[in-house]
Amino acid sequence: MTSRPPLLKALAALLPLVPCLTGCQPPHPAGQLVVANKSSLGSVDPADITTIGGLQLLSAVGDPLYAANAQGHLQPRLAAALPQLSAGGRIARIPLRRDVRFHDGTRFDASAMVFSLERFRALAKMGYLLDDRISGLRASGPYELELQLKRPYSALPALLSSISLTPLSPTAYRQHRTSSLPDRFVGTGPYRLVSSTPQQQTLLPFSGYWGTPARNSGIHLVTLSNSTALFGALVSGEVDVLTSSGLESDQQRALAQRAASGRLVEAIGPAGEIGYLTLLSDRAPLASPLLRRAVALSLDRPLISERVTYGIRAPLRSLVPPPLAGSAPPAWPIYNPRQARTLYRQAGYCQGQRLTLPLTFRSNVPADRLFALTWKAQLQRDLGDCVQLEISGMESTTAYRQLEKGAFPMILLDWSADYPDPDSYLAPMLGCSRSSGNRCLEGNAAAAGSFWSAPGLQAELEASESQSGGQRRELLQRIQRRAAAGAAYIPVWQVAPRAWAQPRLQRPVFDGSGRLVLQALRVR
Amino acid sequence: MSRRRHLLRYLASRLALVPLMLWLIASLVFLLLRVAPGDPIDALLGLRAPPEARAALRQQLGLDQPLLVQYGRYLGDLLHGELGTSLTNNEPVTGVIGHSLPASLELGLVALLIAAVLGLSVGFSGIARPEGKTDLAGRLYGIGTYALPPFWAAMVVQLVFAVWLGWLPVGGRFPATLMPPQGSGFYLLDSLLSGNATQLWGTLRHLVLPASTLGLLLSGVFANALRLNLRRALDSDYVEAARSRGLSERRVVLRHALPNALLPVLTITGITVASLIGGALLIEVTYSWPGVAFRLQEAISQRDYPVVQGIVVVVAALVVAVSVLVDLLVALLDPRISF
Repeated sequence: MTSRPPLLKALAALLPLVPCLTGCQPPHPAGQLVVANKSSLGSVDPADITTIGGLQLLSAVGDPLYAANAQGHLQPRLAAALPQLSAGGRIARIPLRRDVRFHDGTRFDASAMVFSLERFRALAKMGYLLDDRISGLRASGPYELELQLKRPYSALPALLSSISLTPLSPTAYRQHRTSSLPDRFVGTGPYRLVSSTPQQQTLLPFSGYWGTPARNSGIHLVTLSNSTALFGALVSGEVDVLTSSGLESDQQRALAQRAASGRLVEAIGPAGEIGYLTLLSDRAPLASPLLRRAVALSLDRPLISERVTYGIRAPLRSLVPPPLAGSAPPAWPIYNPRQARTLYRQAGYCQGQRLTLPLTFRSNVPADRLFALTWKAQLQRDLGDCVQLEISGMESTTAYRQLEKGAFPMILLDWSADYPDPDSYLAPMLGCSRSSGNRCLEGNAAAAGSFWSAPGLQAELEASESQSGGQRRELLQRIQRRAAAGAAYIPVWQVAPRAWAQPRLQRPVFDGSGRLVLQALRVR
Repeated sequence: MSRRRHLLRYLASRLALVPLMLWLIASLVFLLLRVAPGDPIDALLGLRAPPEARAALRQQLGLDQPLLVQYGRYLGDLLHGELGTSLTNNEPVTGVIGHSLPASLELGLVALLIAAVLGLSVGFSGIARPEGKTDLAGRLYGIGTYALPPFWAAMVVQLVFAVWLGWLPVGGRFPATLMPPQGSGFYLLDSLLSGNATQLWGTLRHLVLPASTLGLLLSGVFANALRLNLRRALDSDYVEAARSRGLSERRVVLRHALPNALLPVLTITGITVASLIGGALLIEVTYSWPGVAFRLQEAISQRDYPVVQGIVVVVAALVVAVSVLVDLLVALLDPRISF
C-alpha cells in the first residue's frame, strides 16, 4: 500500500519538463530590451510621481524644456533657447520648438505648455517646485512661454529641467485637468507608453519624435521587489539592464566585479544624492559649535565608504555634489583625530569623561545601519576615551515626522535634489524664514531638524539665487564654508547612479540628472 | 426541529456576527493607522517639501480634519461600498484590490493544491508501516517544512532554480515582453480561456517557483494532520470491526479510515485558505508577486490609509466568509457535530 512507486512515477513524468523549462523561455521581441529596477509605479501621471523609478519612466516618455547633459551643462530640449529675462529678471520668455508633436499626433505649443504647468501646480504633490518661484504664466505667443517670477532666479533653466514638468497633451488630458490619470501618458518623449501596471511598463518608440530616435525597438521596465531578485535577474540573463536604485552595496560590488571581468558592462552617472548627518544645534549635547566641529573632525569618510559600501559611495565634504557649482573646494574638514581630540578636551571631555552621542539611523536603509555600526567602531578605536556613539534605528517615515520636533541629536539622512542646481541642495537644509542668532525658529532648517542658522545666511542664500557665473560660485562656496563652521550638517557620501548591462549591449549612458538614457540603449 | 432547520439557525447565528466583526476590524485598522507614528505626507514627500507645501498637501488629502470627522466619513463611505482612493496615486482602492487580490488567490490556490497533493501523499505514505523508515521520514518532512523560515526557503529556491540554474524566472507574475491576459485577473484561467499557449506558458513559468515554495511550506501541516488522524482512525473500534469482517486492508483504509481522517484536514484547509487570502507576504515579497500582501506592505510603508483600510476590510470579509463556509461544510459532513 506504499505510495512510493506512484510518487516516483509522477516525478519521473515531470523530469522531461526540466529541459523544456530552460529552453522554452519566451524570447525578447527583436531589439526590445528589459530594464529592471526596484521602484514600483502606482501612477504614470507626472502630478503623482515622486519616486526615482517614476522619474526614470517620465524621462523616456516625456521631454523637459531644458536638460542637463552628461557634463552637467544645461541645454534646450523643448525650449528653443535659454530664457530671455526682462523686468529686472522677474519676467522670463522662453521660445519653444515648433517641430514637436504629442504621442496622440496633436501639436506641442505654448498653450500646451501653459496647460501642463498649470495642471502640475494645481494637482501635483510636488507643485511647490513651481509655486515657490513662479507667480504666473501665459502663452505670450504661439510658441513663446512667459513666466512671471516671484523674484529673480538664475537657476530657472535648471528648475525647468525637472522632468516632472514635462508637457502633456491638452487633448488627451482634457478630462483630467483637475484629476490624476494614473495609467496613461500622452507626452512628447521618444517613447510611447503602451501598457502600464505598477510592476511593468512597456514603451515603444514614438515614430513622430522630433529628436534623435530611440536606438532600440522598445523597452520593458520591470520592478522586482528585492535586491537579491534584481541581482539574480541580471546574472541569469532574465533582464538586459539593471539600475542600482535599491540594490545593496555588496551586490553592487559583485556586479562591478563582473563588469571588470567583462561579463557585464557598467556605467556610472553623476551623483544626485548625498548622505549627511544632521546635528541638533539648539540643545544638549550638541548645542556647542565646538563639539559639533569636533564631531565633524571625527568622521573617517574614506574608511567608512570602503567598509560600508566598498567604496561605491564616494566620500563627500560638501553639501553640493560635484560637478555642481560651489561643490569645490570641499568646505568640510578631513578626518583629523588629533584636532578632534583637542576640541573634545576644550569642551571638557577626554579626561576621564566621555561624551555620549546618540545617533539615529533609518532602520529600513541597510547602508545606514552599517554606517552607524562602522562609525561607532571607528570612534571607539580612535577616540574611545573622548566620545562614544549610542546608536538606534527608526523606520524612515517615522523619523521624518519627528525631525521638526527636534527629536534627534544626530541622525543620518539623504537628499536627492529635484533638479541639478546647488540651490536645490542648500536651501532645503539652510533656508530659514525666521531666526534668532544662530537658532532657526521657522523654515527649512527647522523642518530638517538642525535648527541652525547664522546671521545673514538667508540673505546670502537669496542673493545666490539671482547671481550667476563666478560671482555665484564664490557666494555658494562662502555659504558652504559658513555651514561647515556651524557644523550642524556633516556631509558623509555621495551616491552616483549605476547601471549594468549584458555584454552584448553597448555601455548605458546617464543624463546630467542621473537618469538612464533609455533611448540610447542598444545591442552592439 | 429538523436537521435542516438546525443548520439554517446555525448559519444565521454565524452570519449575524459578521457585521459586528467587520465594524470592529474596520475601526481598529482606522485607529491603529492613526496611532502609528509617521504620516502619509512624510511618506509621500520625504524630506523634500517645504512646510507650507506639506500643509497644503495635508489639506488637499483631508488629513487636516479632526479624527472623528475622518472616521465618520470613512464609515459612511464604507457603508456605501466606497473604499476611497489611494493617497499615492489617486487610484480607487477597489481597483487596487481588483488587481492584486486575484494574484494572491491564484498563487494561494495553486500552492494549496501542491500542498494538499504533496502533504497528503507524504502523510499517507507511512501508514503501511507505522514507525517504519517511511513513516519517520514523513514525520521529519512534516516538522521540517513547517519549521522552515519562509523567507529563507524562498530565497534558496530562487537562488538555485532561477539564478544558478536559470530554469525559471526570478520573480514577477508574467513575462515582461508579453501582454498579460485580459479578463478576470486570474492569469491561469484567462490564458486558458483565451487559448493562448504562449500566455499560458508564461503564466505557468512564473507561477511554478512561488507556488511550489509556498506549497512545500504548507504541505507539512497537511502531512502531519493526515498522519495523526489516520493513525487514530486506524486504531479505532469501527476499523477493527471492519477488519474482523475480513475486508482487505486497502478497503479498510480507503473506505473506512481515510474519510474520517480527512475531516480535520478539511478544517485545516479552511484555515489555510483563509490565511492565504491575505497573501503570503514573505513569498510575495521575495518573488515580487504583485499580490494583496505585497500591495498592503507597500501601502503600510507609504502610510496610504485608504489602501490599507480597504485591503484589510475586504480581506477580513473574505476570511470571515471562508470560515463560515468551512464551518458549515464540516457541520454538514460530520454527523457527530451538533448545532
